[in-house]
Amino acid sequence: MKKIFAVLFSVLMTWSMTANAAVDGKKAEDFVKNLTQQGIEQLINSNVSEAEKQARFTKLFNEDLDLDFIGKFVLGRYWRSATAKQRADFIDVYRKLNIQTWSARFNEFKGKHFEFLGTESSKSPDQIFVNTQVPMPEGQPASVKWRVKETNGKMRVVDIIIENVSLAQTARSEYTGYIKKSSNGIDGLIADLRAKLK
Amino acid sequence: MERKYIILSLCLAILLSGTQTAKAEGDSALETYNRAMFGFNTTLDDYVFKPVARGYRAITTEFIRERVHDFFANLREPATAINHTLQGNLVDSGKSVGRFVVNTTLGLLGTFDVASGWGLEKNKTGLDATLAKWCVPDGPFIVLPIFGPSTPRHTVGMAGDAAADPLYWANYYASFGEDWQRYSFYYGLTALGFVSVREENLEFLDNLTAGSVDVYGTIKSAFIQNRLKLNVCADKNAENQTASYDFDFDEDFDE
Repeated sequence: MKKIFAVLFSVLMTWSMTANAAVDGKKAEDFVKNLTQQGIEQLINSNVSEAEKQARFTKLFNEDLDLDFIGKFVLGRYWRSATAKQRADFIDVYRKLNIQTWSARFNEFKGKHFEFLGTESSKSPDQIFVNTQVPMPEGQPASVKWRVKETNGKMRVVDIIIENVSLAQTARSEYTGYIKKSSNGIDGLIADLRAKLK
Repeated sequence: MERKYIILSLCLAILLSGTQTAKAEGDSALETYNRAMFGFNTTLDDYVFKPVARGYRAITTEFIRERVHDFFANLREPATAINHTLQGNLVDSGKSVGRFVVNTTLGLLGTFDVASGWGLEKNKTGLDATLAKWCVPDGPFIVLPIFGPSTPRHTVGMAGDAAADPLYWANYYASFGEDWQRYSFYYGLTALGFVSVREENLEFLDNLTAGSVDVYGTIKSAFIQNRLKLNVCADKNAENQTASYDFDFDEDFDE
């Protein structure tokens, strides 16, 4: 019964999406398929050195993630009051920290794969959610949604939602909460984030 | 003793749900308490749970840890079965009963999950999910001593699920040995359950702590967002609601 609903739901979703969405669902799904395939083949299942993996990941990350866009959201209202230098410094350290954090977790994805479940429209006209799930060793599969934004025909990931937890939203809560409490504001945040880099 | 604890947490939860209206204006008192309790838990974890979890990993093989994991997962099965019924999912409830029977017997007291191989896949649920389905509000985020991140509904859910634990009833009605022997056995097993869960999360929590400048803020945000997926109660206006993750990137909302 639940399955029937799920199928019906996804059919309705795809239908409503093709009817009025600005972003091509098929194209967005292909983009994420390609991205996850590259990630799995080049990083997780490949036998190259750690340094090479890191280099490949950095390239993939910089090309396919719109970090300028995410960084702006993550700083919330503090982005507006930040100077050009603070903005650039923040994006730089945020990029490096993300690459460091995610490269440390490649092994968790060993032997895992993504199943594609179609797309879901967003309130934002230039964005779309690509729905995937990762089968787990036990219990229900984990839900992973990719928020994809299209800018001038180029697709980029702007958020990843794992089990309903948005990484952008979580980072925003962390950073704006930090700035609110700290007396050193954005500069303090940048310094503390730099200290997290190895 | 356990009964006292359950009643206590229920009272606490009811008490706290009363403070829910204070969420918007006076969140700071609760936030201050939460951060203090989070700090206490972190210290306790650094000095007790984490070292014990590491030690547990050092002296066991993955095979043994899996047996321990499956044993405790099996004890959760009655709570799952009851709550699938309360949620109206009789097929899932039946599967859960089947899992419990098969795994407790053929699976040697649950230490082997043979039922999964028979197509009776694990599909865990609990009182928290049932209450969510019944539209019981979640209440504010609260950090419990030792148990960590929670909400009033989540706390009630944990207490209810604990009351359906066969180990709890076995301890209650068992007549073997002296009182102290039964209690040591019961608390020893409960502690092992704790250590087992902590061991499974060693890397995850280490990674999270390594990359975060405000671990409390990160965990609070992720915990609340994750819980929103439970809120699927029969809301008439459901189709007008947008998913929590479909926020507007340009919106300048305050945290």
